[in-house]
Amino acid sequence: MSDLAALVVQQGLNGVYLGCLYVMVALGLTLIYGVLNQINFAHADFVTVGAFTAFFAVTRLATKVLGLPEAAGYLLSLVLALGVGALLGLAINAAVFAPLRERGDELRPLIATIGVSVLLENAQLALFGPIPYQFDSPFGQHTFHIGRIFFTGQSVLVIGVSALSIGALYAFMRFSFWGKALRAVAQDRETAGLMGINPGLLIGLTIVIASALAGMAGALLGPVLVLTPFAGATVVVKAFAIVIIGGFGNMQGTIIAGILVGIIEAFTVQYLGSGLIDLVVFVLLLVMLVLRPTGIIAERKEENV
Amino acid sequence: MRRAAFFGIAIALVAAAPWLLHTPYWRGILVICAMNVLLALSLNLVMGYTGQLNLGQSAFFGIGAYVSTILVKTYHWNFWLASLAAVAFAGVVGLALAAFAVRLRGHYLAIASLGFAVITYQVLVNWEKVTEGVRGIYGILPPVGSTVGLFYLIAGIGVLVYWLMDNLVRSPVGDTLRAIREDEVSAASLGVRSYVWKAFAFSIGAGVAGLAGVFYPGFVGTLVPDAFNIVESFTMLAMVIVGGMGTMIGPVVGAVVLTFLPELLRGFGELRLMVYGIALTLVVLFMPGGIVQLVKRK
Repeated sequence: MSDLAALVVQQGLNGVYLGCLYVMVALGLTLIYGVLNQINFAHADFVTVGAFTAFFAVTRLATKVLGLPEAAGYLLSLVLALGVGALLGLAINAAVFAPLRERGDELRPLIATIGVSVLLENAQLALFGPIPYQFDSPFGQHTFHIGRIFFTGQSVLVIGVSALSIGALYAFMRFSFWGKALRAVAQDRETAGLMGINPGLLIGLTIVIASALAGMAGALLGPVLVLTPFAGATVVVKAFAIVIIGGFGNMQGTIIAGILVGIIEAFTVQYLGSGLIDLVVFVLLLVMLVLRPTGIIAERKEENV
Repeated sequence: MRRAAFFGIAIALVAAAPWLLHTPYWRGILVICAMNVLLALSLNLVMGYTGQLNLGQSAFFGIGAYVSTILVKTYHWNFWLASLAAVAFAGVVGLALAAFAVRLRGHYLAIASLGFAVITYQVLVNWEKVTEGVRGIYGILPPVGSTVGLFYLIAGIGVLVYWLMDNLVRSPVGDTLRAIREDEVSAASLGVRSYVWKAFAFSIGAGVAGLAGVFYPGFVGTLVPDAFNIVESFTMLAMVIVGGMGTMIGPVVGAVVLTFLPELLRGFGELRLMVYGIALTLVVLFMPGGIVQLVKRK
C-alpha cells in the first residue's frame, strides 16, 4: 500500500470511529424529532451526565468498591450510563414534554429544555467544579494493526456498540409491536390514539430511549472528552448539525450524516488542523441549509422514524 | 402623558441607581445590568416582535466588542468612530443571518442561528492574527474613566434605544413585524414583503447587540472569545422570556431580575447560577407571558 492510500484508509477509519460516537448522540435527537417534532436541548447534558457516570463507575465503584477488573468496570459503566440516561429522560418527559405537549406550540418546549440544560450544567458545575476530569478506557491501551493500519480496542468497542444499538433500535422499530405503535404515533398522533394506542406513553418511551442512548454515548465519549460540565454541549451542537444535514427526524439520514461528519473531521485534523473542525462542520451545515434544507434524505412525514 | 411620565420615572431611576447601590462592586453590577438590558431589547425585537427564534445573538455581541476594540487598539481609531463602525458591521452581519431566516423557520432557524454563533466563536478563537485567539486582548480602556460615568453612558443609551424601539413597534412597521410573527403567509397575502422586514429586524437587533458589545471590553479590561459563547445567547433568551417576550418593558424587567437575582443568591455558591435554568423552565411551564403578565393580571 502506498503512503497516501494507507493515510486515507487510516483517517477514514478514525472518521468512522468518531462518526459512530456522533451517531449515538444524534440518533436520540432525531428520534425525538421524528415522533414529537421537538428538539431537546438538554440532550447535551444527558451526554455529560453519562460521561460523569462512567467516570465515577470506572474510577470508584467498579475498581474500588466491587473489585472488578478494569475492562469489566468500563462495560458496567456503559450499562449504568444507559440507565442514568433513561432516568433523566423520564424526568424531562414528566417535567417538560408531557405538560407542554397538549398546547401544541413549537418553540416553548424548546425554550424549556434550554432552561433544563442551563440548570443541569450549573448543577454539575456546583457538584464537580470547572476543572476537567479525565479517565482512560481500558480498551484504549490495546492497539491492533492490519498491515499499516492501526486501531485501538476502544474504537472496535465503540463501532461494535454503535452497530449493535442501531441494529437493536432498527429491529425494535420494524418488528416489535411497540415499534410499530411508535411509528404510528409519529405518522399521525390522533389516529393512532383512536386505534387504542396511548400516544403519551409512547412519546415517553421515545424520550426514554433517546436519553438512554445519550447517556451511553456519554460513557463511550468519556475517555476522549475534556470532561467538564459543559463537555456535552460541544458534542451536541455538532449532533444538531448532523441531524439537519441528515434530514430532520430521519434515522438513515442521521447515520449517514454522522459517519460523514466523522470522516470530514478526521481529514480536517489531518490537513487543516484540529482548531478548524467546528468551523468546517458548521459551514457545511449552513451550505446544506441553503442548498438542500431537507437534508441528505428529505423529511417525509410518514417515514420519519 | 403617561409615556412622558414613564420615561421620566425611568430616567430618575437610572440617575438614582448608582447612589442607591454605591459600593464599587454593586456599581459594576449596574454596568452589567445596563448592558444586559440592551442585549435583551435587541433579542426581543427579533424574537418577541418578529417571532424569529434566534440563538445567535451572542455572535453580534461579540462582533461589536471585537470590531470596536481592534479598530481602537490596532488601527488607533477614535473610540466613538470605532463604535459606530462596529455597530454598522454587526448590523450588516445581521443581514447575512437574515438571509437564512428568510428561508428557514422554527427549529431550522434555531439550529442555523446556533450554528452561526458557533462559527463566529470559532473565527474569534482561530483568527489569531487579528483577534489574538484564546490568549485574549489586554489593557483595554473604557471610554469614560469612572464606573458611574460608564453606567450613565450605557443606561442613557439604553433609555434612548428603548424609546426608539418603543416608537418603532407602535408604528405601522411594528404592526408589520407582528403580522409576520402571527402568520407569515397571511401577512404575505396582504402584501407584506416578509423577507425585507425580517432582514430589517435582524439587522437592527444585531446592531443593538453590537452596541452593547462595544462597551463590554472597556468595562472588563480584557477580551477573550469565551465571553461570547453560545451560553451567552441562552442567557439573553432567559431574560427575554422571564421578563415577558413581545412586550417592551418585559425584557428590561427580565434583564434586571436575572442580573441581580444571582448576586443576591451569592451565599449559595455555584448553585446560584442554576437560577437562570430554573427561572426559564418554570416561566415557560407556568407563566408563558413572563413577569409582566403577572403584573397585568392584577
